[in-house]
Amino acid sequence: MSPASSETPAAKLSSDPEIADFASESVIIFDTEGMIQYWNPASEALYGWPPLAMIGRGIAHLSARSADEHEHWRLLLQEGTWQGLVSRRTPSDTHIAVDVRQYVRFRADGSPRDVIEYGRRSFGEGALTGTDWHIPDRLMAASWEIDIAAARPLVASIETRRRGGESVADAAYLELVQGARIVNVNERTARLVGGNRGRDLMIGQAVAGFWPLDSRAILGELIVDAATATTQDMTHRRQLASDGILRDPLVTVWRADDPDRLYIAVNGTADDDRSFLSLRASEARYRKLVHYMPVALWQVDASHMGKIYADIRGKGVTDFSAYLDAHPELVDLAAATVPVTDVNRSAVEMFGGKSAIDLLRPVGYLFAESTQALRNVMIGRFKGQQNHSELTRVRTFDGRVLDVRMSVTYPNAPAELDVTIFSFEDVTERLRIEAELRQLQADFTHAARVSMLGELTTSIAHEVNQPLAAILTNAETSLRWLSRDEPNIGKVTQLTGRIATSARRASDIVQRIRGMASKNQPERAPLDLNEVVQEAVMFLRHEIESHSIRIRSSFAEGMPLAIGDRIQLQQVIVNLLMNSVQAVEQRGEGEREISLDMRAADYGALVFTLRDTGPGIPPEDIDRIFQGFFTTKESGMGIGLAICQSIIAEHGGSIAASNHPDGGAQFRFIIPASA
Amino acid sequence: MPNIPLVAVVDDDEAIREALCDLLMVAGLDCNAFDSAAAFLAGHAPGRTDCLITDIRMPGMNGLDLLEKMRADGSNLPVIVVTSVLDPGARARARALGAQAWLAKPVAEGALLAELKAAIGPGKWPDGPGQ
Repeated sequence: MSPASSETPAAKLSSDPEIADFASESVIIFDTEGMIQYWNPASEALYGWPPLAMIGRGIAHLSARSADEHEHWRLLLQEGTWQGLVSRRTPSDTHIAVDVRQYVRFRADGSPRDVIEYGRRSFGEGALTGTDWHIPDRLMAASWEIDIAAARPLVASIETRRRGGESVADAAYLELVQGARIVNVNERTARLVGGNRGRDLMIGQAVAGFWPLDSRAILGELIVDAATATTQDMTHRRQLASDGILRDPLVTVWRADDPDRLYIAVNGTADDDRSFLSLRASEARYRKLVHYMPVALWQVDASHMGKIYADIRGKGVTDFSAYLDAHPELVDLAAATVPVTDVNRSAVEMFGGKSAIDLLRPVGYLFAESTQALRNVMIGRFKGQQNHSELTRVRTFDGRVLDVRMSVTYPNAPAELDVTIFSFEDVTERLRIEAELRQLQADFTHAARVSMLGELTTSIAHEVNQPLAAILTNAETSLRWLSRDEPNIGKVTQLTGRIATSARRASDIVQRIRGMASKNQPERAPLDLNEVVQEAVMFLRHEIESHSIRIRSSFAEGMPLAIGDRIQLQQVIVNLLMNSVQAVEQRGEGEREISLDMRAADYGALVFTLRDTGPGIPPEDIDRIFQGFFTTKESGMGIGLAICQSIIAEHGGSIAASNHPDGGAQFRFIIPASA
Repeated sequence: MPNIPLVAVVDDDEAIREALCDLLMVAGLDCNAFDSAAAFLAGHAPGRTDCLITDIRMPGMNGLDLLEKMRADGSNLPVIVVTSVLDPGARARARALGAQAWLAKPVAEGALLAELKAAIGPGKWPDGPGQ
């Protein structure tokens, strides 16, 4: 509808060839207030009123019960369409029954423009008397036709118990509603509770799958009442509490000729402030959105599992995980019996299906790669979680295995229908890129470490040389003792012991250097931060001593262990120490000291603080020193501190630089302590 | 036994101190070990010590500063440097301060004992069993 065609429908019809003038069906156009705008010749023939008498008059003029028309009109505008039998007044003041179909027509902006009604004389039931006709009842009923043949024995058993004065548990009624099958529903019912499945998919299903949980037991009672009633057409009514779908619904159940066929009518106003039309428009938009959403979505009906969980909970089971260990068949049952009821396009694409039909089967195929994931989903539902999310894998129909992020949204009991939504996001590529990035970062960190070792060659050589010198001297001394006429075995034994000790020391040092140079994947292990610091200082002892710098360490007693990679943490500390040695050296005069402080913070973290007596960090640089390629040194790439920061971040911690109030730079990192 | 020469060893590394002292003992010399320059200055017996073996790099006062201090105090005790330091500047300074020798760690016993003998003088050198 183009925005230009804003003229009234009557004007439009009278200017165009008046097609409706030749229709054999009554065609009436009302404005949104119910005023007649157009009245075709067939209407005149049907009702006996000429157009001149009708155009500009209200619908109430035709109505047998004008008071009801107001409510009907409101609902019609809200819901957009209505079809049914009405009683209309004729000039002779008799009433005729007319089958009418009314449609609201809308403007481009979604607001109602007018109402077009097609009417035809109803010959089925003859004329209705005005007083017998209850418009609101018929208008507002969401109707159901159900078959209880399969539940007959249960009806009989409940009836027997009732007659015997026994109380009947809700569970029996719930089972009855589960056993009752839908034969037919009207459009309103399909709209209110059918969800995306629509009317056709409701037929043949269990009534319980669509009836709000809150009132299922009451419906069960009414079914027994109606099924065991002595006369057919005897109605059984109950007022229900608002259920989020209808406000104060009134349920009426009665039996027809066939004793297994019951009819249910639910009257009530839709419990939604938005008009039906905007609701339908938004629903259509929503459905489209869902359909084209780049995330693969599955709608799953796990209602029968919900009942099983309730039973298990009723037995006092709280640790469902342990329960599933003992009853693995329950996971198999869910895989084999929980049906997928709807999927979107992305889901079909992800699994390589030909159409949605390929995916509309029990959920087992989603968990072919990981039954554990299904188990987790079940545990989440049992625990009453709102949702559950995990990384898992799926195998597609064409055999590809994908890494996916699975998210499950559980139904919000009890107002919503029992619909669980699964979304699967293919993260295969993302995980691959993440792994590559991690590798790149590890390589980079390693390269920086090797380059750092290069700068420490002198210090390291000195460190290894010390025990070697001791070993050589001790060995030569031993030979002297042995070459004597009376070899001094006691002395030689002592010297050999010292040789072994020094050799072990040299070996330890080599081991540490090898560790630093190694390209092992970072690992997470519990470690003593004090030890890590001591080892890191070893790498720099020569530098520190040759620059006559004093190291003051305060190690905390009984500190909890850190969780991390020993080599990488050492790298951080060595890096910070090297910077400080250079800073102290740069200053030249005054106190030459680096103090190291390790302590446990009361919030479950370990704090390492290094402070030097160098010139401090220029204030304008403080915010930039952790950026890559920032350097104030003539040699050096400026990656040291950037790598320190990335290592500490990888450890779930943080690092900060500041200037101490009493002078010198201060670096502090905080990493989480183990448990 | 006043005739046995006394050698002082200054090194912050205990393993080195012990090894050198044992070598000196087997060569028939007496040894007095100190873990720092300060400890040596405070504890050695001037006039009684015949030679000093010192490391260069040590926490606190280093070997060169020790040498300088000793010379400033008028001591002409023979000094043998045994160190891992390779810096030619430091070596030249040690020479200028009258160090007898500069030996690199690990030091060979022959070289060390030869320098010690030269420092102490063959007259006082013991004819120990190993010699």
